[in-house]
Amino acid sequence: MDLDALTGCLASPACLVTQTTSGFIIGMLLFLVAVGLTLIFGVLKIVNFSHGAFYMFGAYFAMTAYQVSGSFALAMLCGALGTAVLGLVFERVFMSRVYGADVLMQLLVCYAFVLIFDDVVRMVWGPEFKSMGMPAAFQVMPLFIAGGVVPPYYLLLIGVALAMAVILGVGLARSRIGKVIRAAAHNPGMVSALGINPGLIYGGVFALGCMLAGLAGALAAPVRSLTPGMGFSVLIESFIVTVIGGMGSILGALIGALLIGLIRSFGSLGFPLFTEGLMYLFMVIVLVTRPTGLFGKEVA
Amino acid sequence: MTRIRKPGLSRRSTLALIGAGAATFAAPWVARAQAKTIKIGMPTILSGRVAQLGTSSRNAVLLEIDKVNAAGGLAGRQVEMVIRDSKGQPQEAARIARELVNTDGCEMLLDGEASSGSFAVHEVARDLGVLCIHTCSEASSLTADPKQHIPNAFRSVRQGIHDSIVGGSYAAAIAKAKGLKKWATCSPDYAYGRDTTGEFTLYLKRFAPDVEIISDSWPKLFQPDYTEVVTKILQAKPQALYSCLWGGDLTSYIDQANIYAMFSQMEVFAVNMADYTALTVVKNLPKGIHSGNRYIKTFPATPENAAWGDAYKAKYNEYPTNWSWQNATAVMLLAEAVKKAGSADGNKVADALRGLTIKCPFGADGTVTMRAEDQTLIGYAIGWGTTISQEPYVPQVQAGDWKTILELEAEWKKSKGYT
Amino acid sequence: MTELRAVQTGGSLSVPRVETKSQRARSLDALIALTAFIVLALLPSFFGSKALLDFVIRCSAFGLFATSLNLLVGYTGMISFGHGMFFGIGAYSFGLLMQRAGVSIPVAFVAALLITAIAAAIIGAICVRLKAIYFAFVTLAFQMLIHSTILAWASLTGGDQGLRGGIPRPVFLGVDLSNHLHLYVTSCALLVLGLLLMRQIAQSPFGYTLRMIRDNANRASFVGIDVWRAKLTVFVLAAMFASAGGIVMALFVSGAYPEFAYWTMSGEGIFINMLGGVTTFLGPMVGTVLLLTLNDTVTRLTDYYGIVLGIVILFFAIGLRKGLMDFAVGWYTRWREREHG
Repeated sequence: MDLDALTGCLASPACLVTQTTSGFIIGMLLFLVAVGLTLIFGVLKIVNFSHGAFYMFGAYFAMTAYQVSGSFALAMLCGALGTAVLGLVFERVFMSRVYGADVLMQLLVCYAFVLIFDDVVRMVWGPEFKSMGMPAAFQVMPLFIAGGVVPPYYLLLIGVALAMAVILGVGLARSRIGKVIRAAAHNPGMVSALGINPGLIYGGVFALGCMLAGLAGALAAPVRSLTPGMGFSVLIESFIVTVIGGMGSILGALIGALLIGLIRSFGSLGFPLFTEGLMYLFMVIVLVTRPTGLFGKEVA
Repeated sequence: MTRIRKPGLSRRSTLALIGAGAATFAAPWVARAQAKTIKIGMPTILSGRVAQLGTSSRNAVLLEIDKVNAAGGLAGRQVEMVIRDSKGQPQEAARIARELVNTDGCEMLLDGEASSGSFAVHEVARDLGVLCIHTCSEASSLTADPKQHIPNAFRSVRQGIHDSIVGGSYAAAIAKAKGLKKWATCSPDYAYGRDTTGEFTLYLKRFAPDVEIISDSWPKLFQPDYTEVVTKILQAKPQALYSCLWGGDLTSYIDQANIYAMFSQMEVFAVNMADYTALTVVKNLPKGIHSGNRYIKTFPATPENAAWGDAYKAKYNEYPTNWSWQNATAVMLLAEAVKKAGSADGNKVADALRGLTIKCPFGADGTVTMRAEDQTLIGYAIGWGTTISQEPYVPQVQAGDWKTILELEAEWKKSKGYT
Repeated sequence: MTELRAVQTGGSLSVPRVETKSQRARSLDALIALTAFIVLALLPSFFGSKALLDFVIRCSAFGLFATSLNLLVGYTGMISFGHGMFFGIGAYSFGLLMQRAGVSIPVAFVAALLITAIAAAIIGAICVRLKAIYFAFVTLAFQMLIHSTILAWASLTGGDQGLRGGIPRPVFLGVDLSNHLHLYVTSCALLVLGLLLMRQIAQSPFGYTLRMIRDNANRASFVGIDVWRAKLTVFVLAAMFASAGGIVMALFVSGAYPEFAYWTMSGEGIFINMLGGVTTFLGPMVGTVLLLTLNDTVTRLTDYYGIVLGIVILFFAIGLRKGLMDFAVGWYTRWREREHG
């Protein structure tokens, strides 16, 4: 514990700004990764425990596409679309069989695939860790914004994250598609009576959630090493964020992610050896005082 | 007529699995019939995030065993390696170690486990009395701590304390030359990370007393996002940074620190940088990172070492790792010890191993020694230098002096209450 | 005689008929337990294989753990994702007491159970009132918190390297646990005793209370049952049996490692329950044997254990949709129905 460092920082405006900026950045990166998980839960009421595996695939697809083509945009596209397709297939063939079953069954099916996917990646790409490398376009000096240091690449990520937040948040609440989706989740029979295939909607939403995970993986690939099993740490992080923010709430995921970002940022000053424990403690406190999370709605 | 696909295991594969299971139980009887071969068991990690540890260890062992077998085997018996995956779970490591000895008839163990796994296998070695050479665990306490001493367990691995002594004195020289007084550390939060960093700092300050550690960060192993660590370091404005991050973590850290332009603001001493796994993977390697050697085929700059590295690369199409040379050395030591003892009996080989010096391509002076007092490896090539982003990666390595290393190590052991 | 009269004339709230039957059932259970123990104890004389003994010892550790989890999942409907934390707490408590306090093994055993019970009582008091999925999440969160603490508190627990140096095994009552055979027989005894006790709990009126809570907690509370207290009680009891499993494992590996308290341990408990089935008492035991056999066989043959395990899980979760014992019992019931018209 190093409380002096923490209080010292809170007292100094320069440090406060830098740590807050860094907490903001961490939070946005977390949100980008976690939003797919909360979307799937919000609409389909299932916890996608294989979320991390799709993140992993997004990263690997992107890396391979980049190595083959040299184009960053193509790499991102491959990462996103590849996982969308994978997610759709996974949902239609396997997940759809365990809708309505208890959470244990969902966990088992998802976890079975995490095991399988991790080994598949190991077989195809090998066990050693790999790196995609930063595209030349982003190999520039960091910017100084509002007293904090921000690498331009992270600006891109934050931009994408915010765009996602707005599109999904507003889209689900206001747009017609959003209403149809929410209706299908609530009462599939009614929706199919109206001539809309609920299975298509479920598949679509799941694919979207996986695509978001894959896109996050693809975007993270230039700055993080790739290895089979890399999905696990992001799964846990995403989990914490969505539980704290409220399963199913896009706004909740955003706020939850920012909170965790700040905890990590300031926590690493005050509690350098127990930063992770702090996050779990916070998760416990939220679950105990407000189980549905800060912005979540009651689950049936 | 369409065939309906049933999910899960087909009948054929179920039968195959049952057959395999039956064969496995029958195996001991079959094994006994082949008493001419000598089996050596090797629990290691072949899956999960640290799979590379196991695969590169296995590669090196098989490479060396082929040579041993070609030269007549151990005490005239051909060697058969039985290598199993513990998935990095210590209770699996213990179970596999026991099974290798009790069921599969292995007469000795090469333990390719790390961290908690190696301690678990150590207890099995203590319990069963089987000859065991640890090849991957760098935890000093495994051999330094008298509570861990058992006559039949040896270690053919570099030690964190040795790396820290050499690194500390190398870094101190540079610190004094360039006036680097303010240092930060950033190391993974587990025993290896904390112990090695603590020891490095100890020796750095001993040789350059003006040095002050103004910031320390302890990210978790396999942590994906280092943002808070990088910003904390940048804020502290150190003149130099020490890190014992390794593997994928080191790569991620470099990638993330790069976009913050961290490397232009301080000298970086990353003890695990000069390892082919990191050197060939990092895409934008900053110039001038100081690093200790892990495995580099140009250090020691001998034809034997280069030949070994090339042979490994030719056979496996990848560079050797630090784990590779350690495993290879273990096999070399074993072969010599068996020759010296004239038998493959565990106890006799153990006696022969104690204090044994062998010719070795990875030795600082062409030889390495299995020190008798704590049954661990000394005399291996150890040094520091700066890295560049293409072959030979570390053009000039400053070798550590083993006389100094051993003196300081003895002092350190006394201070820890180990002697 | 008076009791029988009460039965015959009895009012609407009569209980006695269940009593006699349960007494018979209890004796039958005890008899089965004794037979099982004798068979297991005699096993080494027929099969000299040390691997078989190791296998049974591990079955004991995992069997106790998984069956205790079933008390929560199958009998009470409380899906805990973090049950492994008690396995770990048991192992560490026992290991630390033996290494540092120099007490005898039975004392350390009981003390470790008590420590786990206290921890479970505190955690349970916070958790058990939460519903279904939130209970699952919070147990997982607590487990990760405890795992983090084990790693961070290195001066006590040895951190990521675990408790090193081996667990001392002073002889007690003529039992020397450093002797493989003694360890084997003791593990069998603990397993059989543990299962017997859990069986008694499951078949007791308390056990039926739990089933009632599982089926409809609201209705149970309307009948006057203190649901919170019942849940807390079974949570603590399950934790104690899990910790007994942890102690067996600690003795087997002669140490305690953070992996014992990691979520992968809870995951194994869940797989075992799924493989064996949660609707029968011995389902988890069958699942234990199944998972361990699968593990041991597959890791001999390939490095890609993940794919095989994943496929097996899918087979049970989507194909069979129930555990092996559930399947077997279902088959048997249907066969009987066919036989008897």
